This record gives sequence, C-alpha cells and structure tokens, in this order.
Amino acid sequence: MLENYFPVLVFIIVGIVFGCMPMVLGWLLAPHRPNAEKGSAYECGFEAFEEARLKFDVRYYLIAIIFILFDLEIAFLFPWAAIFKEIVGTPGVKLFGFVEMLVFLGILLIGYVYAWAKGALDWE
Amino acid sequence: MDFKSAVFYFLATVLVLASLRVITARNPVHAALFLVLAFFSAGGIWMLLQAEFLAIVLVMVYVGAVMVLFLFVVMMLDINLERLRQGFWSYLPLGATIGLLMTLEMALVLAGRYYGLEAMPDPGASGAGVNNTKELGRLLFTDYVYPFELASVILLVAIVAAVALTKRPRKESKAQNAAAQIAVRRNDRLRIVSMPSEKE
Repeated sequence: MLENYFPVLVFIIVGIVFGCMPMVLGWLLAPHRPNAEKGSAYECGFEAFEEARLKFDVRYYLIAIIFILFDLEIAFLFPWAAIFKEIVGTPGVKLFGFVEMLVFLGILLIGYVYAWAKGALDWE
Repeated sequence: MDFKSAVFYFLATVLVLASLRVITARNPVHAALFLVLAFFSAGGIWMLLQAEFLAIVLVMVYVGAVMVLFLFVVMMLDINLERLRQGFWSYLPLGATIGLLMTLEMALVLAGRYYGLEAMPDPGASGAGVNNTKELGRLLFTDYVYPFELASVILLVAIVAAVALTKRPRKESKAQNAAAQIAVRRNDRLRIVSMPSEKE
C-alpha cells in the first residue's frame, strides 16, 4: 500500500525544494550589507507606535468552529462513500447502510437549522 | 537502513523538534505554526503505519480547520507578550510538578501494556490493492453504527454550544430587522394623549 504513496512523497519533496530553492539562492547570492540608514523607515514610512496585534471579532471564531464541525461531518462521509456499494449489496443490510447515514445527517441538520435560525451564518 | 526507516526517522526528528518549538517559541503565532508542522509530520508517520485515512483526515481536519481556529484565538486574545512572561519563574515549580505527576501517571497506566512492542505488532505490508478507507468504513458502518450515530449527537452539541456561547447581538449593528419593522404596532410608536383643547 505504501508504494502507492511514493509519488506523493516525491511531490512533497519537489514542492519543498522548488519553494525553498529561490529563497536559499537569493540568500546566498544576493549582496547583504545592511546599515542603520538602509534599515530605517523612509519616505512615507514611520516608526511603529503600537503593536500590529489587534483583537479579532469573535464572529470569525464562530465561523471557524462551525467550519470545523461540518468538516468533521464530511470526514465521516468519505469512508461511507467508499464502502456504499458494498453495504447496499449485502443482503441483510440493504437499506440499513443508507438509512444510518440519513440519521447521521439528519441529526446534524438540526444543528445546521439551529445555527441558521440563530443568525450565526449572517455577518450582520 | 531501508528507505522506509529513513523516512520514519526524518519525520520523527522533524516531529520532535517542531513539538519542542511549540512549547519554547516566544511568539504564540510561531508556536501555532510549528504545531502545524508537527501535525504534518505526525500525518506522515501515520501514513507509514498504513493508516492512510487517518493521516489524510489529520491533515484535513487539524491542519485545515483546527489550526485556523487556534490562530484566530491566538490573534483574538491580543496577548501582551511582556505581561505573559511575568511570573513565569514563580509559577514554574508548581506547573512542573503537576506536569511531571500527570506524565508519570499516564506512563504508568499506558506503558508496557498498551505501547509495548508486543501490544503493537507490525501490521505487516498490505498489498497495493488494500484500501484502508474501505476497511474503516466496513467496520464503522456495520459493527460500530451506534457509536457512529453518537458522534453526530456530539457534533450537534458542539454546534449548539458554539452558537449559544459566541453568538450575541451586536449593539452597534445597523442592520434592519424587516420582520420587526413590519410587526410594529401603532401603540409602539405613537401615544395619543387626550387633553383639553387650548383656547387663546
């Protein structure tokens, strides 16, 4: 099974090398002679007077957590889709494999309707 | 050392170093990004253990979603780094003792019985045709249907809790509520006062 994933490893390595090589080459080849005047803010720039860190609205958090929960729901769908034909083909559990996922999605639909009704999906 | 061991040692080294940086990095955003690297390396190790579905879900759910949330929280907190480091040394003895105790307890419970080499035999090389996702689905949707449905209930609780905890109407919001506008009654807007008519 692992040999199927060898191309993926090659892809990752090529991607890392391709992404890092220009930066490494630039760092090696470019002249690097900084001084205080070169490094200072100039023209329209000014010295920073406060931290760049600022408070995010809590609504970003709500969107992110709803995304995670439905992401997890999707993660359950993948093995089901992979096995679906096999489950439906088995005599004893013909409809069962279909209905169990409907129940799963139905329960999560309640959460979706709740989030929608509460206005969690609206920005304003 | 064959190729697989080399890949494992590389991933394990990256994982350990990245995990160390998670707890030693001064900037919390850097720590979160090192956690992403640690998740990636752990995903690679799971892939080496032939748990392909788990590896991909780890990358998809943890790197794709949970870390976004972590970064939001780290940024949302508006952490004052100087204040955060205050009192580090005074809290260290207590924190270190508790951490050490917890590690010891977990090690005593789990070591040997669950993590020994006998408990975790090599799954053996499965052929190129074996589909890990199908194996998982076969078990999950037949033998473990009840826990599977329970998972949806847990997710539902999480959705409701997240919405209930974080959703609050914004006061400065200028959005119109059309339903409230239509449903308004005359008495809400207008008060008719009976009074004697005035004469010049």
